[in-house]
Amino acid sequence: MPNVTSFDARTLPIRAGLDRALNHAWSRLAAPGTWWSAAERLAIAAEVRNAQVCELCRKRKEALSPYTVQGSHDDLGALPDTVVEIVHRIATDAGRLKRGWVNEMLAAEVSEEQYVEAVGVIALTTALDSFDLALGLDLRPLPAPLPGEPQRHRPTGARHDLAWVSTVAPQDLTPDDRDPYAAHGAKNIHRALSLVPQEVFNFFDLDVELYLKDHEIREFGTEHRALTHPQIELLAGRVSALNGCYY
Amino acid sequence: MELDAVLSGDGGRVAVPQAAELIEFGEAVLSGDAKRQALAREAVYRALGPAALVDAAAIVASFNAVVKIADGTGIPLEDDKAAATRELRDALGLERFNKNASAD
Repeated sequence: MPNVTSFDARTLPIRAGLDRALNHAWSRLAAPGTWWSAAERLAIAAEVRNAQVCELCRKRKEALSPYTVQGSHDDLGALPDTVVEIVHRIATDAGRLKRGWVNEMLAAEVSEEQYVEAVGVIALTTALDSFDLALGLDLRPLPAPLPGEPQRHRPTGARHDLAWVSTVAPQDLTPDDRDPYAAHGAKNIHRALSLVPQEVFNFFDLDVELYLKDHEIREFGTEHRALTHPQIELLAGRVSALNGCYY
Repeated sequence: MELDAVLSGDGGRVAVPQAAELIEFGEAVLSGDAKRQALAREAVYRALGPAALVDAAAIVASFNAVVKIADGTGIPLEDDKAAATRELRDALGLERFNKNASAD
């Protein structure tokens, strides 16, 4: 591709906090999860990237309804078909997901906990890759898996009463659970991955540096970034609209 | 701010400095068009500077990702937020994005 920029993206100034958060997120991606091994998490990350060139995903994206297009994904062969479907669908067309589809995935070979952790991995990979892509940097090679075993801890206070998956309300956390709400806030977007609390930390520890901390969002008298609040929200709104996201 | 411009992408109708450059940047990144992305990066770099370009990339990354969480788990809008934005959502036709609005 011809270089049409007047600068070298590799020399752009990245805030120290953002740089730390990015590096930490990459290591979290490669670490053993709560329900998936490190190798499985990286296989999910690889499929997030691979989904961008999947022919079935392309056809579904172009179709009036993705649910009318059948076929097999172009996958890398490291994950079961149901997991590939989950990764590819969320990575390429999340805006048109339905509760029935999620229920169908959970009725197959994937547990609710594995599904939620996969959503977390997909989101984290998307954030990391989107940042590099937006700056014109090459995508980083995926790291090697770190040693260790999944913890397999399901919060006992999890309930299926808010979303399409079980979540843990702040008041239902127990001393055995890590508390993501104290660090990041307790809005529904924080609660979404709470069935696997580590995934809330994994994503929002990065997101507060990509976007803003919860209390900073409405501190309209203080600018925390090189963009103003209106500029941030304009760009955020446009990206959300393009993704068809209601929340 | 003309909020319907967020949906239409018409940055010229938004009274936010460098709205057009920022909207084009977001659209370019999501388009997958490498040349368009490079041109959009250059435009933001020239209009707002290198630090702002990095922050713009960070915002695109954040919201391109967080939507996967919201849409992948089907979380609803908070009741207080829904009440406070009902008229706005109706005016902008945002209910078409609400995956919890219909039984499935």
